[in-house]
Amino acid sequence: MSVKTSKIIRLTVSYLLLLLAIIIVVYPLLWVIGSSFNPGQSLSGSSMFPENPTLAHYQYLFDTEKSNYLNWYFNSMKISISTMILAVIAVSCTAYAFSRYRFIGRKNGLLTFLVLQMIPNFAALIAIFVLANRTGLLDTHLGLILVYVGGQIPMSTWLMKGYLDTIPKELDESAKMDGAGHFLIFRKIVMPLATPIVAVVALFAFIAPFGDFILARILLRSEEKFTMGVGLYEMVAKQFGNEFTTFAAGSVLIALPIAGLFLMFQKYFVSGLTAGGTKG
Amino acid sequence: MKKLFTLVTMMIMVVGLLAACGPDREEPAKSGKTNDKEKETATEEAKPEKLVVWEDVDKSVALKPAIESFEKEYGIKVEFKELNMADKMRDQLRLDGPSGNGADVVTLPHDQIGQVVTEALIQELKVDDSVLNTFTDASIKAQKYDGKLYGLPKATETPVFIYNKKLMPEAPATMDDLYAKAKELTKDKQYGFIAKWDDFYFAHGVIGGMGGYVFKETDGALDRDDVGLNNDGAVEGAAYIQKWYSEGLFPKGIIGDSGGATRDGLFNEGKLASVMNGPWAFQSMKDAGIDFGVTAMPTLPNGEHMKTFMGVKGWHVTAFTKSPYWSTKLVEWLTNEENAKIRFETTKEIPPVKTVIEDPIITSDEGAKAVAEQSQYAVPMPNIPEMGEVWDPAKIALETIATGKADPKEAMDNAVKTIKTNIETNHPAK
Amino acid sequence: MDSIPSTTKTPIIPPLKTKHGRNAALLSIIPGFGQFYNKQFMKGIIFLILTVAFFSSFYSTLNWGFWGLFTLGTIPGVDHSVFLLVDGIIALLVALIGLLIYAVNIYDALNNGRKRDRGLSLNSVREQYHNLLDNGFPYLMISPGFLLLIFVVIFPILFVILLSFTNYDLYHSPPAKLVDWVGIQNYIDIFSLDLWRKTFFGVLGWTIVWTFGATTLQVAIGVFLAILVNQKDLKGKAIIRTFLILPWAVPAFISILIFSGMFNETFGVINNGILASLGIDTIPWMTEEMWSRVALILIQSWLGFPFIFAMTTGVLQSIPEELYEAATVDGASIWQKFRSITLPMVLFATAPIMITQYTFNFNNFNVIFLFNGGGPALPGQNAGGTDILISWIYKLTMTSAQYGKAAAITMLLSLVVVTVALWQFKRTKSFQEEDTM
Repeated sequence: MSVKTSKIIRLTVSYLLLLLAIIIVVYPLLWVIGSSFNPGQSLSGSSMFPENPTLAHYQYLFDTEKSNYLNWYFNSMKISISTMILAVIAVSCTAYAFSRYRFIGRKNGLLTFLVLQMIPNFAALIAIFVLANRTGLLDTHLGLILVYVGGQIPMSTWLMKGYLDTIPKELDESAKMDGAGHFLIFRKIVMPLATPIVAVVALFAFIAPFGDFILARILLRSEEKFTMGVGLYEMVAKQFGNEFTTFAAGSVLIALPIAGLFLMFQKYFVSGLTAGGTKG
Repeated sequence: MKKLFTLVTMMIMVVGLLAACGPDREEPAKSGKTNDKEKETATEEAKPEKLVVWEDVDKSVALKPAIESFEKEYGIKVEFKELNMADKMRDQLRLDGPSGNGADVVTLPHDQIGQVVTEALIQELKVDDSVLNTFTDASIKAQKYDGKLYGLPKATETPVFIYNKKLMPEAPATMDDLYAKAKELTKDKQYGFIAKWDDFYFAHGVIGGMGGYVFKETDGALDRDDVGLNNDGAVEGAAYIQKWYSEGLFPKGIIGDSGGATRDGLFNEGKLASVMNGPWAFQSMKDAGIDFGVTAMPTLPNGEHMKTFMGVKGWHVTAFTKSPYWSTKLVEWLTNEENAKIRFETTKEIPPVKTVIEDPIITSDEGAKAVAEQSQYAVPMPNIPEMGEVWDPAKIALETIATGKADPKEAMDNAVKTIKTNIETNHPAK
Repeated sequence: MDSIPSTTKTPIIPPLKTKHGRNAALLSIIPGFGQFYNKQFMKGIIFLILTVAFFSSFYSTLNWGFWGLFTLGTIPGVDHSVFLLVDGIIALLVALIGLLIYAVNIYDALNNGRKRDRGLSLNSVREQYHNLLDNGFPYLMISPGFLLLIFVVIFPILFVILLSFTNYDLYHSPPAKLVDWVGIQNYIDIFSLDLWRKTFFGVLGWTIVWTFGATTLQVAIGVFLAILVNQKDLKGKAIIRTFLILPWAVPAFISILIFSGMFNETFGVINNGILASLGIDTIPWMTEEMWSRVALILIQSWLGFPFIFAMTTGVLQSIPEELYEAATVDGASIWQKFRSITLPMVLFATAPIMITQYTFNFNNFNVIFLFNGGGPALPGQNAGGTDILISWIYKLTMTSAQYGKAAAITMLLSLVVVTVALWQFKRTKSFQEEDTM
């Protein structure tokens, strides 16, 4: 067997395997899109390629008289973007301190939080509720945003610190020689070089609120303040009455912007995660 | 040395903090309660600025007119909010009530009454007998716990037999007839009859009708120690349930938590000729354009009627209201004949108000009539907190019976054993 | 007379004639006074003001909080034990911050006093300011994030810990009743009551299988696909990567609910569409324990592999090409190159992240709960066939409101997870390298 034929075999097998993987990945997604165009309401009755497709479910969602969907969409966007901005700021500061300074509690501080976050806390939901109530943050988006940002910090700081470690220290040292202050070095020298990991952290922070329906369900009380996660979850979790196809349409509309963002950020993503995850 | 030193000072500080002896309070708000009671006897009750009502999701159409007339009559502003009654209502009241954001009046399914009374989330109602007499006896019984009244009934519901007239022109009178029909109709992904009998709520119709019971009722009180889910009747009922599954009349795809949605889907797409379901399903069936008929459930092979579970939704005054007097007045107002009629007209929920049930608006409505008829054979779900320990073990038993993993007798025995242990462990004897 | 002993007794290091260090530290029991003693008046005033401000603004918080924490309320119907517990934890956290300031105060006085003992001059106000700026900068940077973490992470954990020592359940539930401290009774009950113990071990077994099965499969798939895509002569990398990352872009709860529909035995597309066209009989995905478990592991792999895939892709791109070239020259086969270059590099680089993946799945409530509610039911069992510990705890709290016991089980679980995770973290090379930096 010549080198050439073995190469052809290898590539063909690779393509076939990848094709299979892509089919498995895409199939359920296509199916959701398909059922969102189905005229019926239920899952059992819908098919991937409906015979008489309809936009009715989308129209229903966009009809502000009947559904709060647009409202939820707006809320989710607002919460996600705020979470993203605040998380990037908080994470950058913390990660920078961890990467560039030696101080008491540095070595175990971060690890402690990373590990503590693994503790499952259903019971703690009550605690968070009471805390929010005590601080007047109940039923406000701010309260929810703060909780989301807090949740993002350990893992993202860990990733970003790894990335910052790979940026040569000589850079900030020479800047210090030139008389640059601490904050200036952080803002003007180091952070601009960390764009890929900032992109990754931002993306994580952006998508996290979309996937959550548990916290938001506890902290938000009024329906007009709901996020998409809660709204959609209530749509399918209803004990009676089954709105699967409407749910599918709503899901498609959530997934689109997120998927778009993913694709836009993809190139940062790979390089950002690498260094971040590697050094850890 | 340094460490010891810091330690000592820290201790001093901690002790100092502890020595602070807690808040100064005069023997406090208990007096509030007695005040309320005194006030109740007073003739002219101070009117609150506003009252807050929590209504079930999608049901406020019936509430609005009642509120308007109440506001006009008494000049008290009433605000409302919609919340999912099955779980959110209670969960939210638990958290919001004590922190001062709770409602004055809420609606709850009656089977939660025992629990919320134990937690002191709602309070006893003092209503004239003349008011009580306007409701059916069963619905008032459902609102009582430990001999005290905790709410007024807003609507009742119980599963009925719903059939697609195109596929099944006439409703069978007995389950045996239905069985024969289902045998004939079930083929090629078409089904003759489906009931979610792996769910204890629906299965109780069969098990109860055959002689099983959850808690023995003696002198109007439920005996938590006498569980009758593995007596001969109950086991016979379980075996009857198993027959429908094992012979393929019920598809396996409806077993489990998501099965209800699947069942509704089948019926609304015209693939299912008849179904056991509650009145809440009517609307979506109409929306799907199905021409359907409704009757009481067919009689069981032993000649008995199905003893379906009756659910009574009620209006309750919360323990957190500042004005129990006016909240009670509001509850009475919401359930009076006029507003009960409005409720039926707007939401099709059936109020257990005697005059309304006999009114032509209900007797001429096929669905409502069937529910009212089936209600005569139905029993209210037990409303003692111990009921919480029944659902899961019963579901496990029924599900394993449905999938054929367990023999009916053995499954029901197991369920009762678990229920009894759970009650002993989690509910201290009184 | 006088001079002789002083000279003879003088050791090589001159003894401290003064005791400024001790004195200053002792005086610091009232914050600021140690600094006054050291003649650092500016600093002393700042400490004093801080202390006064702390007590005047937090006195009632602390007073009320600690009272509540100890008693959990005294009057049923008025005192709400759970709220008091929360207030108590807040007071505890505030007190800790206060103690921290206090410790800094004493430490500072002691330090400067010692400096005086050694006859060194103390920093001027100006120098102190610069010092503070330099040394304080990292603390300034981490403080917003850490403050948030204290309230979002530490606070709930303290709550759960404390709750596990109370009798909070339906019959001891505010506002009707007060919750009381019961010591370790909950922990004793878990091990002594048959009902709890029997189910516990069955569930634990599957939880372990699930954690290792699902995570390992998702890691394997992710790494494998990344290597496949990363082949030099493979075309269309960008578009393939785009497709493979898609599952990550859809919120997980949506995907799980969709899968739950697709796996329906009678009506789902997997049995009806895919398997039927392959000529395979219907598989009881939802009613047979074994198949439900298989389905769950497959679904979790679908959900979880893109993250591993993206990360591994990055690592692969950073492996220097020369390594492979050198190996090729030495006549290494593809497999050998994979085993001795690629795999070690990837695993080394991503180990900490992999560990978080395992712990994540150990507690992956969503996928279990949303797919089939922990079902199918098993005869004679308290938990469903696919219930993992966390979903079982959830059911326990929901059906019988056993909050105290649930908290105790949560603590036991956490102890295991945290220990294993910490141990693994410390073992990973990338963490050990930390020290050498």
